[in-house]
Amino acid sequence: MSFIPGQPVTAVVQRIEILKLRDGDNLILGFSIGGGIDQDPSQNPFSEDKADKGIYVTRVSEGGPAEVAGLRVGDKIMQVNGWDMTMVTHDQARKRLTKKKEDVVRLLISRKSLEEVVRQSMMQR
Amino acid sequence: MEGKEEISDTDSGVILHSGPDSHTTMMKDVKTHTRVMKLKQQSLEDRLKMCLVELKKLCIREAELTGHLSSVYPLLPGEKPPQIRRRIGAAFKLDEPSILHRTENSALSSVEADLALQQQIYVAAQRLCQEEHLSKGVKRSRLQQYQREERKLKDLQEAVFRLRLEHGRSSPRPGIITQRGASDDSSLSDSAVLEEDELSSQLSSEPPSAPAVDFYPPPIVISHVAPHAPVGPSYRPLQPLSYQTPPQSLESLHTCQSPENDPAPIQNSPWTESSLDQPYQKMKRSPSVKSSPSTPTLPSIEVCLADAGIPLQIPTHAALKHTQSCSAPSTPEMHLRRRQSLRLPITEPNHYQPEPVRGRLKGPRRRLTEFAVSSSDYSQMRLNVGNPVYYSSSEDSNSEHSFQSYASSPCQEHPGELPWTHQSQYGYQYASLADNQVPQRCSPTHFYKNTQYQSSPSFTRGYIEDGWGHALEMDSGRSYVNHQAPVYSSNGHYEYYCEALPSQQRSCRLLPAHVKLSRAPSLREYPHHPSRGLPRQVVSEELKSWHQRSQFRPPRPQSLDRNRQGALRIRNVPGQESPLSLSQHHRYQEQQVVLRTPDRLYEDESEVASQV
Repeated sequence: MSFIPGQPVTAVVQRIEILKLRDGDNLILGFSIGGGIDQDPSQNPFSEDKADKGIYVTRVSEGGPAEVAGLRVGDKIMQVNGWDMTMVTHDQARKRLTKKKEDVVRLLISRKSLEEVVRQSMMQR
Repeated sequence: MEGKEEISDTDSGVILHSGPDSHTTMMKDVKTHTRVMKLKQQSLEDRLKMCLVELKKLCIREAELTGHLSSVYPLLPGEKPPQIRRRIGAAFKLDEPSILHRTENSALSSVEADLALQQQIYVAAQRLCQEEHLSKGVKRSRLQQYQREERKLKDLQEAVFRLRLEHGRSSPRPGIITQRGASDDSSLSDSAVLEEDELSSQLSSEPPSAPAVDFYPPPIVISHVAPHAPVGPSYRPLQPLSYQTPPQSLESLHTCQSPENDPAPIQNSPWTESSLDQPYQKMKRSPSVKSSPSTPTLPSIEVCLADAGIPLQIPTHAALKHTQSCSAPSTPEMHLRRRQSLRLPITEPNHYQPEPVRGRLKGPRRRLTEFAVSSSDYSQMRLNVGNPVYYSSSEDSNSEHSFQSYASSPCQEHPGELPWTHQSQYGYQYASLADNQVPQRCSPTHFYKNTQYQSSPSFTRGYIEDGWGHALEMDSGRSYVNHQAPVYSSNGHYEYYCEALPSQQRSCRLLPAHVKLSRAPSLREYPHHPSRGLPRQVVSEELKSWHQRSQFRPPRPQSLDRNRQGALRIRNVPGQESPLSLSQHHRYQEQQVVLRTPDRLYEDESEVASQV
């Protein structure tokens, strides 16, 4: 997802609601994230634009809450519960996602396949 | 009707109304339509051509500026890319004062203005000469021009020099040709005109000399010419004028061409994943992140100070230092050291036994400074702040000291080394002090041996004035066990410290800048600046050890007499005898003044020397 600095970004996003799984004291989300503005974006295997410092889903555990909710590996997390995730450090993202008092996280994620689907549907119209 | 329909079908998709009109009208309609289309196409093509021409012009202009023809240059099938002649050094700005203020000193200033102009021409010619990829003829002609300009420049320089001599200015005005901040946008034609003017005015037509390599005088060499030389029509004395421009301009060019990339405020750490199945923990601290150093260590100091019942002026200081030294690795090291130092007083009674430990303690520091007695480093730097008032300037050792004095709860207990030194060096200042309290170790000679700063008298003086006691104290406290020596001799000192505190606090902030300003060279020599976070460490080390010792040690009397006899150094290492019966004041159990026998002293000195 490329953008021009200073210009509004348009992205096709999907809303995903993950119900955290309670395991004793632990809250399990069932996925891993990578990225953040403090990490080297060029090593991100999932981003199209290698300068993208967004938070990406790097792993989704099978049968976990994230998979159930429809999250996929390679999704870029745009928002978590309304908080922007496109310009946060890795730890900030972790923090937002793993709040103990929240049993549900609502994500806005963008995904390449989503964009393509939308584009195609628009072309057809 | 059928025919009409066919026509409409074949006719390029234009829907024609097949009305009751005749075939001819239909044909006419088609014709007009095609004509309209053709006209439209024509106009579009014209516009395209215009645009292409414009693009070509822009490309050529760009190429003239950059030296490279851009790839978007529109080439017709058989067309060759145009030859680009890059304009080198065509645009420049003249020194305004020398041009504008001709009136005041007409002859001289006019020549100066000419010189400024010629300077530019010379530089431009030089650059033209150095241009690559030229044909031989062009190169030779440029070389000749360059030589011509150089000669003219020399002539002008001579003239200016002579005029200046006449005007009583024996040396060339240094700032006169300080032009060249930015090259304005004047185009080549301007400068060409100027050049021609110059040429005509100069009427100098030198025979072209043989092309030679030495016609590219490296600007650096020029700049190294001594600023002045005796009179005479020789070329040399004029150089100072000429050197000012070329190097600067070259440099500015360089900086313009390669602007520094500012380091990003957030450093990238390698890409990592983190599983979200575990609760968030702060463990993920990338090593380079700035926040890591500050948190772990500071509290401990505060605790220390709180234990000691000290107002927290030190922590701020430490924090300051700390923020300055953002090197994460320092933290663990410091922890380690502190722990060691804490352990030392208990485990090793004699401060000579802990040699290995000592070495370890010093190790990292020595690496930093090549100057093992790092504490004296501090004081030294601090001294150099140049504050004549006793303690106000030396913040670090001061603060340490003062807080030590604070730490000893009763007023009578004072860490004593400091006063001693002061006594010794400045007995008059502490007239109230008994002479017998003056330790021998403070003899200047020893001091000189001990410190490495003989070279700068001012420094040594300052050192003696303010810091030697501190230095030693810190030194011993750090590199040897912890010395502490609360041998305070008079209440006056204590009061003094109390007074000194606020000023210290104030000076804390300023210090690093001061240090940098006042003693830049030596700082470079001893790169390990107090801001490396050492003071805090030292402080806490000393504090803690002091406390520990105060818990474990029975009170010992101490005698200064013995000190006087031979000990140049006072080590308050627990376990060493030689108690000083200093006075009614101190009942500080922990503190011991170690009597150093001469050989000991020697040993120590040699060690110090070897550490240099």
